[in-house]
Amino acid sequence: MNCAKFQEVLPEVLEGGRTAEQESHLRSCPMCSSLVADLDLIAREARQLQEVADPSPRVWNSIEISLRQEGIIRDPQLGPALVPSIPRRWKLAWLAPVAALVVVGFGIVVYQRGSGDAKFSAHLDTTNPSLVANLQTSQKPSTVNNSEDDQLLAAVASRSPAMQAQYASNLQNVNAYIKDAEESAQADPNDEEAQQIVMDAYEQRATVYEMALDRSLP
Amino acid sequence: MTDARKLQGDKLSEAEAIERAKQGDAEAFQLLYELHKRRVYSLCLRMTANTAEAEDLTQEAFLQLFRKIATFRGESAFSTWLHRMAVNVVLMQLRKKSLPVVPLEETLENEEEAPKKELGAQDPVLSGSIDRLRLHRAVDALPPGYRRIFVLHDVEGYEHNEIAAMVGCSIGNSKSQLHKARMKLRESLKTSRAEKAAKP
Repeated sequence: MNCAKFQEVLPEVLEGGRTAEQESHLRSCPMCSSLVADLDLIAREARQLQEVADPSPRVWNSIEISLRQEGIIRDPQLGPALVPSIPRRWKLAWLAPVAALVVVGFGIVVYQRGSGDAKFSAHLDTTNPSLVANLQTSQKPSTVNNSEDDQLLAAVASRSPAMQAQYASNLQNVNAYIKDAEESAQADPNDEEAQQIVMDAYEQRATVYEMALDRSLP
Repeated sequence: MTDARKLQGDKLSEAEAIERAKQGDAEAFQLLYELHKRRVYSLCLRMTANTAEAEDLTQEAFLQLFRKIATFRGESAFSTWLHRMAVNVVLMQLRKKSLPVVPLEETLENEEEAPKKELGAQDPVLSGSIDRLRLHRAVDALPPGYRRIFVLHDVEGYEHNEIAAMVGCSIGNSKSQLHKARMKLRESLKTSRAEKAAKP
């Protein structure tokens, strides 16, 4: 084997597994022997290039800015939480009855305009005729009757005690709305918009009664 | 004391830092960066021979890693995961620049770049060690295709089958390019040594 032929297979020689002929040439040829030694040295010494320098501080600054903008870095809460952490899915649970209120209220407005009060009353629970009568009364422009509300809340408490507080709050809000609407309408009887607002307010009250009496709703 | 050691003063291990980083802890992210920045940056620098480009690629590699840190399950070493990601980032960038990742074996642009065969009289051999700075400069001066294979194999320790998969060449091509890179480096190192010896 001569040097030219040896160097043709040098890549494989350097990877290991030399043949007897190749070993023999290396022993007899100082030039190829020094070449192999140099190439091995270069391969070994190359490892010192693994960690040669640090990037400038701007690299980390840029990384941190990006991570914060993307929300991957999140600042911890300041101090201990004062209330237990509530799973996210429950934080919006309060929207459910409000959404139901709006949907039912809208449905009732449409129904009333289409078919009148009689059909509306037929949907009510007939086991509570006094409440039914009160509901019909509550649709007419009149002052709010607190005793009617008490009866409604009593009925709610008998069937769904947990919901009593919710309905009490709803009634309080809608009664306040009616009071404000009536005051505005009385201040200017010719104000049609104010009159409409009063009607809307009473419709909302009717909605609350409807929801309370409808067993299918919470 | 390095920044990494300062951050590790509270005895936060890498595993703990990874878990805290998954929770969005800024200090944990910084610790992981400090622990691995030198290796990643050095890889990028060796592959590109350009400090500005190396810093950009370092930044991109860490960002890609940190974005995916929630998926890290610990099946492999974190450093291995990071390193492989850095290599992919560099190779992707080099492909975008349309630089030949590996020149075809027989198609060098400049024949002068081809390493000379060692025939005839024996040349002075390299000493038992190589000055790191000289080696650094010699590697930077390599043609890009040679440099990449040399860095991936001899500097970073990847096997030829891994390099072939990453770079998109054959194993034989990878071995050939590596050999030519080493031959070229030998020439450069011997030339620089001769120049240094010649100076008064």
